[in-house]
Amino acid sequence: MSAATLRRLIVFGLIALWEILPRAGFIPELFLPSLSSTLAAGWNEAGEYGHALAVTLYEVAISMAFACGGGILLGAIVGSLPRPRILIMPMVSSLYAVPLVILYPVFTVWLGIGSESKIAFASIYGFLPTMLATAAGIQTIDPQLLLAARSMGATLSQRLVRVIIPAAIPTVLSGLRVGGALVIVGVVVSEMLISSAGIGYLISRYRTILDSPHVFAGVLLVLAMAIAFNAAIKWIERKAAIWQTGTRAGQDSAGEVAPAALQPAT
Amino acid sequence: MQPLANITPLKPAGAIEVRNVGQIFKTTTQDVVALEDVSLDVRPGRFVVLVGPSGCGKSTLLMMMAGLRQQTSGTITISGAPIPEPDPNRVGVVFQEASLFPWLTAEENVEFPLALRGVTKSDRRARAQDALKLVGLDGFGKRHPHELSGGMKQRVSIARGLVQDPPVLLMDEPFAALDEQTRMTMGDELLRIWAATGKTVVFVTHSLTEAVYLADEVIVMSPRPGRIVDHLQVSLPRPRTYEMLSGDAFGSLRDRIWRHIRKSA
Repeated sequence: MSAATLRRLIVFGLIALWEILPRAGFIPELFLPSLSSTLAAGWNEAGEYGHALAVTLYEVAISMAFACGGGILLGAIVGSLPRPRILIMPMVSSLYAVPLVILYPVFTVWLGIGSESKIAFASIYGFLPTMLATAAGIQTIDPQLLLAARSMGATLSQRLVRVIIPAAIPTVLSGLRVGGALVIVGVVVSEMLISSAGIGYLISRYRTILDSPHVFAGVLLVLAMAIAFNAAIKWIERKAAIWQTGTRAGQDSAGEVAPAALQPAT
Repeated sequence: MQPLANITPLKPAGAIEVRNVGQIFKTTTQDVVALEDVSLDVRPGRFVVLVGPSGCGKSTLLMMMAGLRQQTSGTITISGAPIPEPDPNRVGVVFQEASLFPWLTAEENVEFPLALRGVTKSDRRARAQDALKLVGLDGFGKRHPHELSGGMKQRVSIARGLVQDPPVLLMDEPFAALDEQTRMTMGDELLRIWAATGKTVVFVTHSLTEAVYLADEVIVMSPRPGRIVDHLQVSLPRPRTYEMLSGDAFGSLRDRIWRHIRKSA
């Protein structure tokens, strides 16, 4: 049996257990409502969940643009120029170790409890790993490639477009994978803490009234979002980094675990 | 009367002239003289090998001939004109195998210098095919570098250096990363390509055997400051064969180079 088949079987097994265990009474519905009752709860409040999902997706999209755009831009600058690198890298690295969620209450004071504070928090949260990975990616480009390009008469802009960017893509993508996952975490967590809308807010609200099926319906939506994001990144990786065969692509299955493992405690 | 454009240039295509070239690297503590008063003439179509211990400036000299670095003093001309910046129409450069772009296929790598100049796709492809055929890689154009062996990658590098048909080919330790057998085969391949194209070749290596086996002339350099200490004519007949490696003529040439290097290393 192939690893992929086995993996699928495990997933189906877990889904089946989710339905069977609560239904048979092994686990109280309060702790874990069965899959069917979770889906039913979600379906009955489809309008509410739909609206919450729209809010969350909007916040994720904007934060993603800030985190990834800013991270790649600043990472490229820091990676290619030694002076900013010496100045900024130690700061960014230590900042990365700080649980940034402690700053979220401050953000709500500055920006209110609407989408702005979530976007600000999630953007910064996802920005750091994207920037670090991009800087590393640019910094580790083989100088021999750039020398070869120059020997063929490549101008500075041709070297950027035809050598530096394609050479950095695999590392940048692995940064996006972690950064993007952190953006989703950042948005949902901040919604759960202080908020008035979004999936995180719904989860948190239903939890206070002990309505487990509705809590888990929200959890399912976040899960779906994370899985969709992961699939999108994988698709881009396949499109953009075919040449990494044997290194990154070979670690495909390991890559699925990586984002979760790299997320700092929130 | 002949039109102006047909007047023969003073220096024929492929001639390299190095006159009193010096190079000083400035560091914070002191100035390091990398090359001192180096003069050298390479006639068109010759195969010249630069050897010497690490730090003798042989790669630096090659980079100057390629226009990738400027000398502190003296002049270098290729086909009669100075080379202030890389010019792939006059000089092709071949590096170690790692200099292929891993995200491009073999033929896209060979097309790279043409793409920089906006040559049309079909024209590019045709010329890349010709170059790949010349180096014996017909049919491997669609492979990526990681799907090729070390020797094949080096053939792609050579094809890339030749695709614009420059009269001069500069090679910076191109076979250093290859294993012994592949290295020997690639040496023979290079000589075949050289004979077929009539290029001027300047080849930098650490290997004395490789130097004598390939060269018409061997230039021996010494370090700190880098200068030319000997200039040998290799009069072994061509084509070179494996049996010559154990001959007396071959051995005495290699010994002569080795004595220079032992003295300075």
